[in-house]
Amino acid sequence: METSFAITGKGYVLMAADTTAARSIVKMKTDEDKIKTLSPHLLMAYSGEPGDTVQFAEYVERNIRLYQIRNVYALRPAAAASWIRRSLAESLRSRKPYSVNLLLGGYDTSSYNPQLFWIDYLGTMTEVPFAAHGYGAYFALSLLDRYHDPSASLEEGLDTLRRCIDEVSKRLVVTPGKYKVKIVDKDGVREIEL
Amino acid sequence: MSRSYDRALTVFSPDGHLFQVEYALEAVRKGTCAVGVRGKDVVVLGVEKKSILQLQDPRTVRKVVMLDDHVCLAFAGLTADGRVLIDKARIECQSHRLTVEDPVTVEYITRHIAGIQQRYTQSGGVRPFGISTLIVGFDPHDSTPRLYQTEPSGIYSAWKANAIGRSSKTVREFLEKNHRDDLSREESIKLTIKSLLEVVQTGAKNIEISVMESYGKVTNLELSEIEAIVSEIEREKEAEAERKRSRLAATAAGQAAMTQRAEES
Amino acid sequence: MSIMDHNGGSVIAMVGKDCVAIASDLRLGDRALSISSNFQRIFPITDRIYVGLPGLGTDVATLRERFRFRVNMYTIKEEREIEPETFAHLVSSTLYEHRFGPYFIEPVMAGMSKTPSGGYKPFIAATDLIGCLNFAKDFVVAGTASSKLYGVAEGLWEPDLEPEDLFETISQTLLNAADRDAFSGWGAIVHIITKDKIITRTLKGRMD
Repeated sequence: METSFAITGKGYVLMAADTTAARSIVKMKTDEDKIKTLSPHLLMAYSGEPGDTVQFAEYVERNIRLYQIRNVYALRPAAAASWIRRSLAESLRSRKPYSVNLLLGGYDTSSYNPQLFWIDYLGTMTEVPFAAHGYGAYFALSLLDRYHDPSASLEEGLDTLRRCIDEVSKRLVVTPGKYKVKIVDKDGVREIEL
Repeated sequence: MSRSYDRALTVFSPDGHLFQVEYALEAVRKGTCAVGVRGKDVVVLGVEKKSILQLQDPRTVRKVVMLDDHVCLAFAGLTADGRVLIDKARIECQSHRLTVEDPVTVEYITRHIAGIQQRYTQSGGVRPFGISTLIVGFDPHDSTPRLYQTEPSGIYSAWKANAIGRSSKTVREFLEKNHRDDLSREESIKLTIKSLLEVVQTGAKNIEISVMESYGKVTNLELSEIEAIVSEIEREKEAEAERKRSRLAATAAGQAAMTQRAEES
Repeated sequence: MSIMDHNGGSVIAMVGKDCVAIASDLRLGDRALSISSNFQRIFPITDRIYVGLPGLGTDVATLRERFRFRVNMYTIKEEREIEPETFAHLVSSTLYEHRFGPYFIEPVMAGMSKTPSGGYKPFIAATDLIGCLNFAKDFVVAGTASSKLYGVAEGLWEPDLEPEDLFETISQTLLNAADRDAFSGWGAIVHIITKDKIITRTLKGRMD
């Protein structure tokens, strides 16, 4: 089942999303990247209705890029999140709404803060220290209540993330096999092997 | 009654001219000069900057803009019109990526811009864009530098080197004399600056240079770099003039000597 | 389960002596799963008006943006700050514009309004999700814990409470009602509005 997590730490946001693309009970693909880099310091993990997800993510990606070309500077994480939320909220009351859940992690290069936003397909948004979507959320959130530390070093953060993934593998009936993990910090975005 | 308001402004004159389009070209001719030069594997855009006022922020007055990672545009004419056209082009660049997963080619975006400009010569209630543009860049997966020009009428064409705006004719003639196909990066920049100096009296501080070397690699030259090249060009000119002067002096001296000898004998 | 209960959350406003109070819990849930314990649903409109927006999370943000826009336009056009009564009608008409496809929010407003003699008097109001106004003289409640809030407030509220006493009353009312409601809780925020200052306090609550 589709699952994504994100946690903030000392100067970074870590994001993990499973890599399976499933149709009904069949795994079609096990190396799908569900975390998009929207701008030099912004990551977005997306999940939900297949088709809608990629379509919406690319729509967001192009608009964020357009903003950057028009104004030289990229939107800050909170501003980008606000725009994305509004897009989803407008879509919700349209003829065919997007069914996409998002985690938006960014590093604000002006205030030197990592930021994480939980956004669902309704356009509900809240800033959180850690977040998860999908069935994995039911296990990961309670685990993170216990183990999350906003001032954790990268190594400690990765340990916590591993705990989340292990817990989901242990308790969820249909577990996603592999995860892709990305980080955003002052140096920008990069992928991490767990 | 309201129909009379949205009638086209651009209608043919009896002898087949579209005056509004020709007036738009006049607005271009009054605009500051912009030059584009294609080298062997580089393409350079140079523009004449109006001197900014003492208290103005120079970053807000730009005549060379990015349309996408790999396409740059410079324009001559009404700046306000330019802004609108640039915004339409930028949206098309992103929209193209979104719909077909590929960046635009330089020709495609040129054709799109020219298409918009043409539409404004034939629609009701609008006037043509008072700008010409120079569009440079590299196509995806291709190392050939590209240079295109568009005009208010909607004409577009490809060039090796070209100029638009004030005194563009002088500059184009200069380019025709001095352009070669195998210009290196430095030679291309120098030729661009040299050609601009034909019409820009105030020198380096009123010149802006953008260089594109390959897909997505754009640099704007610093004022100090431009100043260095301008002074190099001036030194060369000086040396050339010096050589001419000394040759003239030598000839004059030779003649004088001959006359003297003739008188003596 | 109704859409109104999807994200949970409750708001209450009370009248005191020359002051009003408005308070909300801080939970944002996804049905039974809690997502955030710091979700703000009370927003300042002017220096003397606050509005609480309990209901569907997405509409909390959307309505907040709409109200900010309409109040800013009002301020610019009228060249003066909006009064609480006017704002209440603005809220009402904004919601009624969507009579047949409403925002799932039941706003609660609290503010101090100017009297003709130059003084200030307390004002509270609430509306349903299509903008039917309810001007109350004592307290108004809304949200998933509204039925419990009515009960506790009915027992605790009394007329002419001073700011600090009003703070105690509204805090106890909210915390105790939220404890009986599975969809509200996880801490609370309280604003006390007087004619010349605002007191804002964040309260700890049961985290279960």
